[in-house]
Amino acid sequence: MKQSLIIIYSAILILVIAALLIGGGSLLSEGINISIKTAMNSGLMILASFVIIGQLNVLLTAEAIEKWLQKFSGIKAVLASAAAGGLFPGGPYIYYPFISSFKDKNLPFYIFISFIFGKEIYDITRLPMEAGLISPEIAVIRYLITLPIPIIMGLYFESRRKDGSNNNYS
Amino acid sequence: MVQTTIILSIIALILTIINYKKTGKHYEGLKSGLKQFIQTTPIILGAFVLAGLIEVLIPREFVQNWLSKEAGLKGVVLGAFGGMLFAVGPYAFFPIVASIMSSGAGLGTIISMITGWALLSLTKMPYETAFLGIKFYLKKQMFSIPLSLLAGLTAFLIELFIS
Repeated sequence: MKQSLIIIYSAILILVIAALLIGGGSLLSEGINISIKTAMNSGLMILASFVIIGQLNVLLTAEAIEKWLQKFSGIKAVLASAAAGGLFPGGPYIYYPFISSFKDKNLPFYIFISFIFGKEIYDITRLPMEAGLISPEIAVIRYLITLPIPIIMGLYFESRRKDGSNNNYS
Repeated sequence: MVQTTIILSIIALILTIINYKKTGKHYEGLKSGLKQFIQTTPIILGAFVLAGLIEVLIPREFVQNWLSKEAGLKGVVLGAFGGMLFAVGPYAFFPIVASIMSSGAGLGTIISMITGWALLSLTKMPYETAFLGIKFYLKKQMFSIPLSLLAGLTAFLIELFIS
């Protein structure tokens, strides 16, 4: 979080100087006006997004997801773990310790890999922001295009496991 | 945006009711969401300022030559690697992508940028190397680069086909 803040506010400083040098105060105020307009238009939407994120955080616990994952194998496991990755709430402090425990729980590597790609590609908590700030149509197109990625990755590593060429996390 | 706000508000309400009926922890969910909102507000506000400035500063010729539909595969490649370099979270990333899009970037560029950011973003590097090891991180990047480019290329072809 702190890192993101430093990056954003450093970038703002650089762009403010650039705007002043290129177009003076009028270009800077044009940019700020666009920012204010966007912030005002999307304020309510962002608040609704955070209510969704908060409710998902409580509804989908790490324990429930883990229990669910252990029920499946083969292609069903690939599909279930990709979906579970997309539904898994929480930031990196919760997510990375959770997936690093897969190895200790003896969950196959292909489940682990489809879970990771599922989280990165599907992430349901990101959807409201993506649909709201970019556009619902583009969010749908993006989800449809990238939908096979976690499944392909899971199936690829499952086939390697069958060959005996990839049985571990190393 | 009004339509999206209404849809999201309905989803938020439905989830709150489900949480109330299933777990009775709906207040906890609201508190969790509100806490996250307060924590990320400085980032969101900063991202809006950044997005507004990018929109007025980004040269039209640059967008036309490098990011638009007419830029072709250049836009897809630039989008994927641009997404990788955006070392920020979703609250900062999406307003910036929205400003690049309203400047005239093509669908292929936007999709490869979002996919590149989702799969390759440098923000993940410290966590992935710490929890899963540098070897795993590098292997994952090796798979993620062609996948991001492929997603962008597919979007580019869809845009070409539609137009």
